[in-house]
Amino acid sequence: MVDDVSSYIDDIVSMIGEDAEVEREELEKEFRRFLEYGVPPDQAKRTLVKKFSNGKKVEFRKLSEVKPNESNVNLLCRVVTVNPKEVKVRGEPRKIFYGLLGDETGVIPFTSWSSSISLEKGDVVEISNAYTKEWQGVVQVNFGERTSVKKVEDDRLPEVSHEPKPCKIADLHTAFGEVDVTVKILDVSEKEVDVNGEKKKVYVGTLGDETGKAQFTAWHDFKLKKGDVVRVVGGYTRFWKGIPQLTFDDRANVEKVSKEVEVSYKPVPLHKLVERRGGLDVSVEGTVIEVREGSGFIERCPECKRLIQNGECKVHGKVKGVGDLRAKLVVDDGTAGIGVIVGRELTEQLIGKTFEECKRIASEEGGEAVLRLLRERLLTKRVALRGNALGDEFGTTLIARDAKVVDLDVRKEALELLQKMEGES
Amino acid sequence: MRRSTAWRVFAGEYNDASAVVKGDGERVPSYVITPLGAKINRLFIVGVLTDVESLAENNELVRAHVSDPTGVFALYSGQFQPDVTKSLLEIEVPAFVAVVGKARTFEPEEGMVYVSVRPESVYEVNPDARDRWTLETCKSTLDRIEAVKEGLKLSQPNAYDLTKMGYSRDLAEGVVKAINFYRNMDVEKYVALVKEALNYLVPEKGGEELPKVDVKTEEENKESDDVDDTVLAIIKEIESEEGALWDDIVEKCMEAGLDRETVEESINSLMDKGLVYEPVLGTIKTT
Repeated sequence: MVDDVSSYIDDIVSMIGEDAEVEREELEKEFRRFLEYGVPPDQAKRTLVKKFSNGKKVEFRKLSEVKPNESNVNLLCRVVTVNPKEVKVRGEPRKIFYGLLGDETGVIPFTSWSSSISLEKGDVVEISNAYTKEWQGVVQVNFGERTSVKKVEDDRLPEVSHEPKPCKIADLHTAFGEVDVTVKILDVSEKEVDVNGEKKKVYVGTLGDETGKAQFTAWHDFKLKKGDVVRVVGGYTRFWKGIPQLTFDDRANVEKVSKEVEVSYKPVPLHKLVERRGGLDVSVEGTVIEVREGSGFIERCPECKRLIQNGECKVHGKVKGVGDLRAKLVVDDGTAGIGVIVGRELTEQLIGKTFEECKRIASEEGGEAVLRLLRERLLTKRVALRGNALGDEFGTTLIARDAKVVDLDVRKEALELLQKMEGES
Repeated sequence: MRRSTAWRVFAGEYNDASAVVKGDGERVPSYVITPLGAKINRLFIVGVLTDVESLAENNELVRAHVSDPTGVFALYSGQFQPDVTKSLLEIEVPAFVAVVGKARTFEPEEGMVYVSVRPESVYEVNPDARDRWTLETCKSTLDRIEAVKEGLKLSQPNAYDLTKMGYSRDLAEGVVKAINFYRNMDVEKYVALVKEALNYLVPEKGGEELPKVDVKTEEENKESDDVDDTVLAIIKEIESEEGALWDDIVEKCMEAGLDRETVEESINSLMDKGLVYEPVLGTIKTT
């Protein structure tokens, strides 16, 4: 039983206003009745506030207290960003909006599924009947058909000003709004781009810290040089298929620091990579549990490089195919699995056969024979891989730029493990 | 929908599992939760394929067994996986195989859960592959033991705190489920299981060497199969709805000219093959 019923009643009274037409005793009776039915006290409180406030006063929640899987959520917040997006819902095209909401306690992402809601960046809005979900460990607010959004005066909320969030590259996917990172510049080059008919110089490249790497675009000349260690305060992150891209301009504070930053090439556990969806130039290790159909000796269209079947390209019709060698693997480390695409040269190294040899096997014994050879050489082997990992709705796929079979001394490792276990017990 | 993880679990842990999480909705997968919190929809096994048997006409259902240093996985493959079913029937046993498969459960009655594997792919491999898998599965099992211990330390075991310690979300959720489901869990049992498996890999440490090829000669094999057939026929003859009493089976078989030890060995072998099970202690029933 809840001991502090009276403090809940105090809350209710203060929310519905002293002049509400209900006696305290009545409220307490109803509140206790809910508890007898096993309704959680917070839920009982909200129900009673709603009932007796006649919809005039609503309890607004702070963004920092919102939890996943809540319904009837009411918020007073500012639209930090809003973007339209075309999606298909049950085959029907539909326009939705996504972006960020902020109040003085935090910033969280939202998605609006309702066609009747219009939002502008910077609006202060009262939102009622929204619901929340969790996506990749982050709470997300959703607006459905029952949600209503009302624009109110700007001064209802102080201007949202958020300190950029200190962050490691590997955690960028959980950060919203501005970030604060200390990184090493791995390479940088100057590019000219066209912005609304105006030529502008941008500086693009890659940067990294001990947890990972990201692409960057600087819209201002910060005189960045390869090897510099810099602290960037006030950059924004975007993702392309799970690859982080940091963007910053002259509003960001960029300063060189004398700290040393080691950029990591240590293998990332696969569940972490899959959770981030992808990554730029990552190293991973795992066991080959499948060599997919479509691996081995294949033929491509000479025009478009597409895979051809029975001498026919989907786009260019009958063509004379150009031979190629590749492997499509499923690599799994017991915590998660990813797809891996290995090109010709790396496949040659992995299986110890040249492209010409594979071509000969294919012409003498058929393409199946090359696939069998790949399976014989690669299945159940532990491999170390490096490359860009791209995430989509079917999972994560790594495009290998480096691939090696890991030599394991099973007996030695088993002995060490056994000794360690005996030492512990 | 992302690809589900291929867990590394020994038969000794997998076969102990009785917690099932059913997915609701069409595309939500079901999971088997092991006592150490592996939340299994898919697994990867390398072991010895010991027998393959067709249970229905036209190979519409095939049962096979894959043994590892701790126990035996039961595989069922049917008409919906014709390629895998064909591969299983073509491989000459015993053979080392690598199997990727989905976790399946059979619940003959409330509270009774039998786990099996529906293979998605089966390939013949060499003994080194089995050794690598055994080592990797030892490491995975130790990780789970560690995660369960961490989970038990929490006053309110929850997935959030476990993921913050670096465990995968699947494992964190599985561990919480396992702690709530399996009361009085004996973690030490699995520590012993890992040690046993490691000892197979380093025979000079006093462990038995893992037989390079599964033991029995063809003749012995045939002989024990004959005994199994006799015992199975006797169980079928005397069993009722509830099964047949162990003692009655032994008695009947001894009348048929078998000695007690052979009969008990054969009942165990029939259980391993999945042809009989023990619904209550001391009673045997055919499946």
